[in-house]
Amino acid sequence: MRLKLISCEVLYREMCAAAARSPHQVDIEFLPKGLHNLGGPAMRAWLQDAVDRVDATRYEAVLLGYALCGNGIAGLESHTLPLVIPRAHDCIALLMGGRDRYRSYFENHPGVFFRSTGWLERGEDLEQATLYTLEALTARYGDDNGRYLFEQFNGYQRNYRQLAYIATGLEPDGSFEQRAREEAARRGWQFETICGGLRLFERLVAGDWDENDFLVVPPGWRVKATYDDGVIEKERVA
Amino acid sequence: MSDLYDAILNGNAPAAAEAARQALEGGAAALELVQGHMVPAMDEVGRRFECEDYFVPELLLAARAMKAALALIRPHLASSGAQPAGRVVIGTVKGDLHDIGKNIVASMLEGGGFEITDLGADVAPEKFVEAVRAHRANLVCLSALLTVTMSSMKTTIDALSAAGLRGQAKIMVGGAPVTQRYADEIGADGYGENAAVAVALARKLCA
Repeated sequence: MRLKLISCEVLYREMCAAAARSPHQVDIEFLPKGLHNLGGPAMRAWLQDAVDRVDATRYEAVLLGYALCGNGIAGLESHTLPLVIPRAHDCIALLMGGRDRYRSYFENHPGVFFRSTGWLERGEDLEQATLYTLEALTARYGDDNGRYLFEQFNGYQRNYRQLAYIATGLEPDGSFEQRAREEAARRGWQFETICGGLRLFERLVAGDWDENDFLVVPPGWRVKATYDDGVIEKERVA
Repeated sequence: MSDLYDAILNGNAPAAAEAARQALEGGAAALELVQGHMVPAMDEVGRRFECEDYFVPELLLAARAMKAALALIRPHLASSGAQPAGRVVIGTVKGDLHDIGKNIVASMLEGGGFEITDLGADVAPEKFVEAVRAHRANLVCLSALLTVTMSSMKTTIDALSAAGLRGQAKIMVGGAPVTQRYADEIGADGYGENAAVAVALARKLCA
């Protein structure tokens, strides 16, 4: 099979490694991590455009290196080729190797920031919080109101207690883990390394699309968010 | 319109407090200050947000100014026997620690004359049930910012139903990933796309 993979760049190393070992030919297009910050409808429009640009005569399916991602894939339509999407809420679940593991971890650790190779090396400057620096806010709104706004925008971090680095085994050395450890220390949080895995990525590019872990959206159908255990479902385009 | 109105609209908390103090000293009725000045100011803030003249920082600053004035006016309101527009229990649902949007909605509702009990973030369904009973709330506002925690909205609504509180309290939901369709699916009474809409919706649900 010849497969087209459209993936978020936050999964760059994992997707490249999986594609290298796939029995199929996989052509990859990476899109910016910043799509995550655009909000669901704008992210979906961007992805729809990328999906629709794929030459249907050259591929047998379009694979998505995305999860539900804050409704960023909700409403995404298949027009010519089937879309194949892992069932998960976000990339953290993908990196952990599956949504069940993510859910059980999440339920026991609500206040956790996650890091991975991609989260450390790609587009960190795009994170929302850095748009509102103390300097920018006090310059725009005055000293008192600027400080108040800075506190409001960053106050949510008070609720976090831990930073977890998800190791996938692809790291060349301990430098990624060390950077995450230093970030945790800087924020005054506990640190933990979690062993993730490439299982979902490898199955995605191998064509092993078990219904429990993957949604296949045939032409004329679109993605619907269900928010239940299956996360996403397909529905016919009206 | 008035110094108080302008101070709130401009997000100037010290000026809002000073205007409220002067008005009260001059014999103004607390209820008139709320209904005639503060509610219209917050309505205008909401309108400007809707047409993208104002953004989240302006909303937060207007709410801050409104609260500074309300802190002085509230004791007079209580002694005048004025009833709030509604009694609201608000919180971010279990598992979710995001609270900026919830805080803005709470402030906008407070500025709109509602009595607010803010339970914070990561609030378990039973905490909502307990608070609705304790405060005799007639409106519950649920927030979620993650698709993975949206299901906690459903479990919270189910818990309120099981506790027999749906007749007493309406439920509205909001947060970036939440949609009208999801609100309908889980049996919420209303969905607010943003903080400005939330106030109008709350008034409708409490009418």
